[in-house]
Amino acid sequence: MPELGIVDMREIIRAMKSDFDYDFGNYALTSLKQRLERIMVMYNMGNAEGLIRKLRNDNNFFDTFLYEITVPSTEMFRDPSLWRWLSEDYFPGVEDKNTGKIKIWLPACVSGAELYSLAILISESGLQDKVHVIASCLSNKSIEVIKSGLYDLKKMEVSEENYKRVYSAKELSTYYKPGHNYALRDTRLIQNVEFKKLNINFDNAPQNIRLILFRNSMIYYNPTQQEKVLHVIYNSLSPSGYLVVGIREKISGINTGRDFEFINETESVYRKRILS
Amino acid sequence: MNYKAVIIGGSAGSFQVVTRILNSLPKSFPLPVLLCLHRLKHVRSGFVEALSLKSNIPVEEPYDKEMMRPGKAYLAPANYHMYIELANRIALSTEDTVNHSRPSIDLSFVTAANAYRDKLIGIILSGANKDGALGLKKVHDNGGIAIVQDPADCEVKTMTQAALQLTQVDFVYTTDQIINFLLKLK
Repeated sequence: MPELGIVDMREIIRAMKSDFDYDFGNYALTSLKQRLERIMVMYNMGNAEGLIRKLRNDNNFFDTFLYEITVPSTEMFRDPSLWRWLSEDYFPGVEDKNTGKIKIWLPACVSGAELYSLAILISESGLQDKVHVIASCLSNKSIEVIKSGLYDLKKMEVSEENYKRVYSAKELSTYYKPGHNYALRDTRLIQNVEFKKLNINFDNAPQNIRLILFRNSMIYYNPTQQEKVLHVIYNSLSPSGYLVVGIREKISGINTGRDFEFINETESVYRKRILS
Repeated sequence: MNYKAVIIGGSAGSFQVVTRILNSLPKSFPLPVLLCLHRLKHVRSGFVEALSLKSNIPVEEPYDKEMMRPGKAYLAPANYHMYIELANRIALSTEDTVNHSRPSIDLSFVTAANAYRDKLIGIILSGANKDGALGLKKVHDNGGIAIVQDPADCEVKTMTQAALQLTQVDFVYTTDQIINFLLKLK
């Protein structure tokens, strides 16, 4: 297995920046190193130069690279108690007060685990006509994978268990068909979803969002990038909009922390605070 | 002090051992203690509380990018890998399982070995799979101290035997000897 040194990492980051204008310099070093090494194993590259050469010579490879560098969610309905909270507390509340459509944004979709979980919740709550979901991805390949409905079959067992903890009387299997290695998810669930391809700084982020689901994505950034992206997230939220991050992600330690207040500390749900 | 951190990996049968270690360390223990223990993925609470009961040093599940402090224990949270970044920061990850485990002991040990080189003490305890063997080898290869709980002292031997097979470790210790070794670090 190839092991990248600090010099190799710098070379790769520099090449990505100069050739593609994607700056991974503020990604967390350990996980970035592991993702890069994983790609090198997948594509049989012995060293950093091999990877850089492939990026420069093969036009289609960059999008694949962006797909593989991002980490998909571990499973559907991860942290069932959050999904229960969304279904029992959050959605009933927003439905009443709001006249227009509730805009929900998932900034960093990879395999669509969070997106399909949300879509199932919306369907179960009968809110299909009252919400507008925007899913943004770093790569076109992510968008294709999500739209195709294909999903890693190995992740279905734990997803089923999670789903049962959200809806004790129901089966997740009504929403997918098991195939050979893949599960085929019911793509009707996402037929009204708006897909967007955004870069790593989320330039041209959507606006007036009522709820942002952004769990376990910022853990792949260093504190500098976390702060930068949180700023974008803050600006995307409507007044008193909600942000959900992973349960071991803390945003109060960063400068922008004063801009958010806790709504549900156990599930890491924050509300945008309007500064006077 | 020649060392920067102690990292402990364990699985089945390690809970009692970790508890005894934590209960024996003084409040003034001079290093951060990293704990990567296999645990149920969907049970988020209870574990850190149980380990804290009689521990003299605080035991916490770290937040992503938290700075490590001496005299504190950091338990890898459920369903996250726990990495050690440069500059004493902990980073969390939701990457694929390794050895069917998340947290994976191998990943915690390898990243800690890369960050601390010869200033790391790695300890593998009782357990039922081979996670941790590669990680402990990395600790040893980078010049750190590699310790394995004596398989005869383990409730489940598989993990310590796998580690011993892969690495010429520095010490094979019983729980009491591990505690004595750590207490001598001043």
